[in-house]
Amino acid sequence: MAILGIDDTVGTNQKARVFNREEEQMREKHLIVCPYCSVGCRVYVETEDGYPVGIEYVDDIPGIPNKGGKLCPKGNVAFQYAQSKDRLTRPLKKVAPGKFQEISWQEAMDEVAGRMNEIKGKHGPGALAFLGSEKCSVEDNYLIQKLARAMGSNNVEFAGRLCQSSNVVARTKILGSAPQTNPSDDVLKADVVVLWGYNPAATNPVFFGQYVEKAVLDNGAKLIAVDAVKTQSAKYADIYLQPYPGTDLAIILAMINYVIENDLYDKDFVAKRVEGFGELAKTVEEYTPKWAEKISGVPANLIEGAARTVATGGKTAVLANEGLNQHVNGTAAMMALTDLVLITGNIGKEGVMSGAIPGAFNGMGASLTGVNCAQLPGAIPVADEEERERIERAWGLEIPDKPGLHYVAMFGAAYEGSVKALYIMGQNPARSLPDSAFVEKALEKAEFVVAQDIFPTETTKYADIVLPAAAWHERAGTAISSNRRVQWSFKAADAPGEAKPDWEILVGIANALGLGKYFYYSSIDDVLSEINKVIPALKGATPQRLRDDLKGCMFPCSDEKSETPRLFLKGFPTPSGKANLIAPKYIPPGEIPDDEYSFWLSNFRLVGHFHTGTMSFRSKSLEDRWAEGFVYINDQDARKLKVNDGDLVKVETRRSSLTAKVEVTPYIKKGVISMPWHWGFNLLTKDAVDNLSKIPGYKTAACKISKVRG
Amino acid sequence: MSKKIFIDYERCIGCKACEVACEREHGESMIKVFQFPDLTNVSFNCRHCEKAPCVEVCPVNALWRDKDGAVVVDPLRCIGCSMCVLACPFGIPKINELNKVMVKCDLCADRREEGKLPACVTTCPTEALKFGEVDDITLAKEEMVISNLIGREKK
Repeated sequence: MAILGIDDTVGTNQKARVFNREEEQMREKHLIVCPYCSVGCRVYVETEDGYPVGIEYVDDIPGIPNKGGKLCPKGNVAFQYAQSKDRLTRPLKKVAPGKFQEISWQEAMDEVAGRMNEIKGKHGPGALAFLGSEKCSVEDNYLIQKLARAMGSNNVEFAGRLCQSSNVVARTKILGSAPQTNPSDDVLKADVVVLWGYNPAATNPVFFGQYVEKAVLDNGAKLIAVDAVKTQSAKYADIYLQPYPGTDLAIILAMINYVIENDLYDKDFVAKRVEGFGELAKTVEEYTPKWAEKISGVPANLIEGAARTVATGGKTAVLANEGLNQHVNGTAAMMALTDLVLITGNIGKEGVMSGAIPGAFNGMGASLTGVNCAQLPGAIPVADEEERERIERAWGLEIPDKPGLHYVAMFGAAYEGSVKALYIMGQNPARSLPDSAFVEKALEKAEFVVAQDIFPTETTKYADIVLPAAAWHERAGTAISSNRRVQWSFKAADAPGEAKPDWEILVGIANALGLGKYFYYSSIDDVLSEINKVIPALKGATPQRLRDDLKGCMFPCSDEKSETPRLFLKGFPTPSGKANLIAPKYIPPGEIPDDEYSFWLSNFRLVGHFHTGTMSFRSKSLEDRWAEGFVYINDQDARKLKVNDGDLVKVETRRSSLTAKVEVTPYIKKGVISMPWHWGFNLLTKDAVDNLSKIPGYKTAACKISKVRG
Repeated sequence: MSKKIFIDYERCIGCKACEVACEREHGESMIKVFQFPDLTNVSFNCRHCEKAPCVEVCPVNALWRDKDGAVVVDPLRCIGCSMCVLACPFGIPKINELNKVMVKCDLCADRREEGKLPACVTTCPTEALKFGEVDDITLAKEEMVISNLIGREKK
């Protein structure tokens, strides 16, 4: 009877859920920021009994980055990955290689704190290294860098080093500040749009569709695209330049040369707002379009046409990304591009745009909160004594005054033994750093590795302790879009098992380490309130404001009422108030093809996947459509190599090799091959870094190709 | 005339947001993006024909036209005979292997019921998909062509 009764109840409830309108109203929707790229799209996660069951488009909040609630394929399944069966749900301890045992949170915290304090005691704080994450909130990132510094170490980095650091260094040196200058809406007002090493149709589809494509198709803007592959973005270009990977710097220098030689620069702007023009003019004298043609393989007349269009075509938005900046000459290339923007007067006004475009939804937030071995919260250089002391006073802690190790160097140090403990939050360096085989050896050699994540990854398998984190929609927090928009993301569902929000885990670890009095937070609001005090640019982005005004605000915001849609309208945040042109010399890209490794190898992203795939590989709708990697080979090269579509080839560099299916295309430059990087591409890349920014030269390597018989 | 989904394939970037949105709403996608070697993409779904051959041939009257003009299937009536599959000039109706009945695009009947647009249209990042009366869509196209020709914006 009892059993029947229970069965009946279950049946009745299920029926009621389908048919009873009142019951249906128990369905709730929760506003989040999409957990993928940096556009910062808003999505409603719909839940039933607290369990996510669907998403809805946000068409009722004006001013959000995705007008009308538009979403790309990834945003359409914004929580699907998190329902994967292999979620981490309990803390784990490694008991033998590849073998983990569940332990309690208390045991995990004690173990982590005990080992880290022990290593610090024996080897000093320099033996500790921490990684924050563009996939965690502003608060999480603020706390991990504070934790690193509270332990006495500036060894704290995140993937921003790997994707935007060259851009950030170049623009900070020249303009005093790196982020995007104008609101996305200004792209619609531009007369010319430049996409340089940037394929937003794949990487930021909503931004592309709502701004770039509308500017070009509806408003008649001219599009200039520069990419070794003619992409879905480049297909709309009026002028398309196809250089060898990493030779873009030559083209930009030649464009500057052409603009100055032909007297096309903005004399008024240069006179009033720029310093260093004379030296720039002198430096680029030798860099003629003919010279650039020889290096880049792009005809001089196209370079001249592009230069003329940027200089005389009206208001120009210059959007550059990793195809340009992820090279060992990345900083020089970004400096040259910033010079070009300045001498053509395409900054500090309405209708233009330029600036860093981080990869993930909170790359900007992680960067701004000081997850950087050389920068404190607010992008303050560690060496800036006055500012450092201000933050020390706010924290009641001493901050080490020397920069720590950058991302790649951390793993070099772990391999050599000087870094002994790695605390890794939401990063997968085993696949995201260059030369994966070396990185895995470094992880293996490290004495103590903690990995805090939502899934087992190629990195967590080397961890001594694995800490289970809540996925993005399972906790609340702040995220900052590439367009400087600070937004609050609400909690939509509970985390599985014992998984916890990252900030809570970090506070727990800090307590266990005996640093509890510096980490006294009762809620995530407390953390953001401290950030409001410590980072002047975020002063007005308070928890209350972000929850009241759901479109958020564009930092810098000096109080709760204000925001800054456009930067540099009056001056630049440099000592003189003027922009300082820096005249870079030509530097060749990293590894250049030779007789043995005769092809240029580059890489790109697919619209359906994200970074090393830790999330998107677990999202069925994405995985079904974008199932495996491939290699683009130019049709003429394919004929020579006697390979056809679908053939398997081995792509080999001096590091390692990968096997992939061929996709023959006329749209990649002859002599260049390229692969999506999601599937273990970094086994092939070299760990050489750009001198100034320490960004690895991911986008160029020399390789050879051979057909796999079989 | 009824409302339909139109594709402006010049705008389509082949991102497949429409496919993923449809799959989320319906369990499987009823819209498909075709990609061509010249970088053209065409997203294609049921045309909801005014004189729909599938409706004509269905022997058990499982196919009918709803109030907005969408051609929809009643899964409880459908016998999975595939007559509609034979009759459709576009290859739209598919037989669901598990349930042995035909499935097709219903222009998101549930969403329309709540006053929303079909999911594929709402999500499309480039607005390549448009939902509306055929006359409105063609008029808008005419207007754009004419204003481009004479280089003026319409009043």
